[in-house]
Amino acid sequence: MSRSMKKGPYVDEKLYMKVQKQSDGGKHLPIKTWARACTIVPEFIGKTFQVYNGRTFVDVFCTEDMVGHKLGEFSPTRVFRGHTNKKEGLKS
Amino acid sequence: MPRIAGVDIPENKKILYSLQYVHGVGPATSKDILAKVGVDPDTRAKDLADHEVAGIAGEIDTNHVVEGALRRQVQQDIQRLKDTRCWRGERHRKGLPVRGQRTRCNARTRKGRKRTVAGKKGVKG
Repeated sequence: MSRSMKKGPYVDEKLYMKVQKQSDGGKHLPIKTWARACTIVPEFIGKTFQVYNGRTFVDVFCTEDMVGHKLGEFSPTRVFRGHTNKKEGLKS
Repeated sequence: MPRIAGVDIPENKKILYSLQYVHGVGPATSKDILAKVGVDPDTRAKDLADHEVAGIAGEIDTNHVVEGALRRQVQQDIQRLKDTRCWRGERHRKGLPVRGQRTRCNARTRKGRKRTVAGKKGVKG
């Protein structure tokens, strides 16, 4: 079910504040974040985030096309390297 | 046979239903269009007066995206998802269900016909 319009998009407040601070201050370092559920808003365009995927921080550079998506959508949590070959057995 | 929105030629059916042969026009859109143009939904497509056909065609042309344009738009939307490297784009690329359905079994619409994996059954150790 989609989110109620009344509430507006979910934007992590701390993260939003950090982005604002960067826009004012001018420093453009990637922002480390765990807020995968945070919606990408227009203010995030041109910023780089390091979005945690449970193991590492994945660099996500926000473009215009990404607005409306969540940060987590760009930081995959699973790695699929193909099925194991039964004949050759498990490669160790 | 009236022609509406390019190549489509609906027939002996009531206009409410024959309009739905246009890609992008379903029951709701069809009803809306006819109400707006002021055509009785129960008239057969062949009995439509010329100005009624023109009115319907005009309404579709101005206010609705149908046929080729619609198909192109959908493709572009999918392409955009693929290009942004987001989760949904990846699912489209891999040909797996996009909206969180299970893939352990089923999901045959997206995955296509079953591909039998050799040695999955009976072979032990």
